[in-house]
Amino acid sequence: MGRGAGPADGPGHAMAEALFQIAEPGQSRSKHSCRTRAVGIDLGTTNSLIAIVDAGKPAALADERGEVIVPSVVHYAAGGAVVVGEEARDGLAADFPRDTIASVKRFMGRGPRDAEATRKLTPYQFFHGAGDQSVVRFAVAGGRAVTPMEVSAEILRVLRARAEAALDGPLAGAVITVPAYFDDGQRQATRDAGRLAGLEVLRLLNEPTAAALAYGLDKQAEGTFAVFDLGGGTFDVSILKLENGVFEVKATGGDSALGGDDFDRAIAETLLARTDGADAGDPHVARHALDAARALKERLTTETEAAIDVALSPGRTTKFRLSRDEMESLVTPVLQRCAAPLRRALSDAGVEPGTLSGVILVGGATRMPLVRRFVEKTFGQPPLADIDPDQVVALGAAIQADMLAGGASRDDVLLLDVVPLSLGLETMGGVAEKLIHRNTTVPCGARQTFTTFADNQTGFDLHVVQGERELVSDCRSLARFTLKGIPPMPAGMARLEVTFMVDADGILHVSAREETTGQEAAIQVKPSYGLTDDEVEKMLLDSMAHAEDDVKARLLAEQRVEADGIVAAARAAMRDTPELLEAGEREAIARALDGVEAARAGTDHHAIRAAIEELDHASKPFATRRMNRALEKGFRGHNVDAVDAKLGR
Amino acid sequence: MICWSCQKEAGPGAFCIACGAVQPPDEQADLFAVLGLAARYTIDLPTAENAYKELSRQVHPDRFATADPRARRAALARTVQLNQAWRTIKDPIQRAEYLLLRAGIDVGEKKSGAGEDGKGTHKVAAPPAFLLEILELNDELTGARRAGDTVRVAFMVEEMRERARGAMKTIGEALDAGMPGRMEEAGRTLVALRYYQRFLDQAARDGEGGGAG
Repeated sequence: MGRGAGPADGPGHAMAEALFQIAEPGQSRSKHSCRTRAVGIDLGTTNSLIAIVDAGKPAALADERGEVIVPSVVHYAAGGAVVVGEEARDGLAADFPRDTIASVKRFMGRGPRDAEATRKLTPYQFFHGAGDQSVVRFAVAGGRAVTPMEVSAEILRVLRARAEAALDGPLAGAVITVPAYFDDGQRQATRDAGRLAGLEVLRLLNEPTAAALAYGLDKQAEGTFAVFDLGGGTFDVSILKLENGVFEVKATGGDSALGGDDFDRAIAETLLARTDGADAGDPHVARHALDAARALKERLTTETEAAIDVALSPGRTTKFRLSRDEMESLVTPVLQRCAAPLRRALSDAGVEPGTLSGVILVGGATRMPLVRRFVEKTFGQPPLADIDPDQVVALGAAIQADMLAGGASRDDVLLLDVVPLSLGLETMGGVAEKLIHRNTTVPCGARQTFTTFADNQTGFDLHVVQGERELVSDCRSLARFTLKGIPPMPAGMARLEVTFMVDADGILHVSAREETTGQEAAIQVKPSYGLTDDEVEKMLLDSMAHAEDDVKARLLAEQRVEADGIVAAARAAMRDTPELLEAGEREAIARALDGVEAARAGTDHHAIRAAIEELDHASKPFATRRMNRALEKGFRGHNVDAVDAKLGR
Repeated sequence: MICWSCQKEAGPGAFCIACGAVQPPDEQADLFAVLGLAARYTIDLPTAENAYKELSRQVHPDRFATADPRARRAALARTVQLNQAWRTIKDPIQRAEYLLLRAGIDVGEKKSGAGEDGKGTHKVAAPPAFLLEILELNDELTGARRAGDTVRVAFMVEEMRERARGAMKTIGEALDAGMPGRMEEAGRTLVALRYYQRFLDQAARDGEGGGAG
């Protein structure tokens, strides 16, 4: 397993030609012999995508309607069903704001006391139950409490099902992208989400690096580049040197809680403050206001003024009106938070902004004219715009997945990424002693020897922290563990050697050993804001028992709904306009209708799909005549062709 | 070393001479040797960088993502060592510290380096007279800054930069001279250089818009 199914691909320029092509679901099935079965996944705050390398080219996978983007929105219904994507976002979020989780990425690896879980303007309710409270949990319909990892896993399952359908079988593994500035806890949470979704996570890849990989290979780019990645919930900036197939990250910086969502919140808070009697604590009001803010923001990308009607409560509609200038002044303080990480990354990389070969934009928020102006001003050059900021990360991840699974002949490509935040241990006086400094190339290791400070001390408490600040209280707590079994000795005699190792995913592993006795005590690292292995295992077993059934049940339900709709429409049409049926047509359609009903009674969604297509085929000429008739009535004297021309089709 | 995969003699390289399986690194290996370089202060950085990247291409964990767990562990450990070697050797100060440590001279502030356990090494400390001079210079810098005497500050910074450059040159020559006495000199100069560097860092911080710190 793990090996790609196909032969080695051609030289790099083949990849360049159609890098940003989208696979058509129908046409691509025939050539899966050239595909590796490893996928790249961009698990985004707002949207998620899955991509594969097909015949040497990365391509995002689309659904039946040609849509590549899955909105990262998960709805938990009272009956236990889970709905993911567009339907959850557009159909359910407004009515069930508490049970419909959007932007779950912002909660990954976070605790209940973290900023994200304590915001005033939030549609969510957090679970406050007994037991382990280290992971934030959403209280959703049916009295359930779900972790961010479980919510993310639902999104990953949908993507996985899409890829398995496209590849006609199981996946060899996945590369999942994470913001470069994600800390250890956030990375572990993402890895756990992948495991929960039944994916073999080959690698966690930093999003700016993924973008640079896709861009660099496509454009044959060489030189030093900055990647400015402002997504829905996270901000990254990476400085990379691209040379002879080596993608070397020189420095990275960012803010894992800064993105387009914060723009929305700034806009929504102001709009609500202007509205008399609006209760920002009501989840419906919060959801509607945030959605309205996002819609206004998006429209103001091209328009200079926009207004939108918002139903803040039943029967009460408020008009939100905003000009681009106003919006820009509202979001500028948020955007300014990019400036400090940007400066630091440039200085860590030892690069002057003017000397960069180019600035690559990634993330939906970089569409805003304000953001582009900010980037241009900061770097002293216009950013590169010949790249789809929504897809480039997933495409880069697919390339990496292909390389890891051995599907490509790109032996010359090498990714050298870095640790985004320094890693250290708490020492006397609450000071953080850094063992691994930020922007160190991964994988990397460090060793440090500590000693006891009390006579006959037999245990050693270790507190692992991540961050740049001097004091432990200002850094992020990653894990605490105790090394036991040190023989009684006077203070300062024991020698405790602690080893840190950061793997290629950017995840830290810690081990410790007492040197004077040579005794290696067993340690257990408990992630402060994650799941223990046991918890992951249990969730995995629970979901495995249902996962296959869940997918099948959902597909079946979808096809049945579609079958009902089309049968009803066909029967109504035959009743309304029997005069348009030609000889033998009624019988043919009736046979197809019986076929759909028979298939619908069964449990095979493929059979229902096939029967629907059959009916579609049988009734097409009839449907066309009906449409012509309707159009003739509407546009007296015009035929369908003429109307089509008029509509510019 | 016996190969974990074929149980035959693996040879000295990254890959088993018998079966080609990637081998775990020798944890005690000299960091210059890891990059295939002679242990000298004066090196050709572009050549060293090429060697680092070429070796990385061969043993990086990305090449072994779907391999046997033992091969993955070996590749990971090799790359950790390779990255440590390049990190140490590309930086002039860390390179000098490492060469001194190899010669049994501990100049303190040891980063993760040769795990010699402090055996047979002796520490080099700055003489009191030198420390006094640096303290006076620090005071003078603070005074000049308070008085708004930017010309004086700039002059002091430039003078210190000159001293640091001179120290770096001395260290390089002393290390490559291949004489035990001169190793001591390199050690003392390196300790002094740290104080010069701290002075310059402080001056740079003070210069950053004053209010920031």
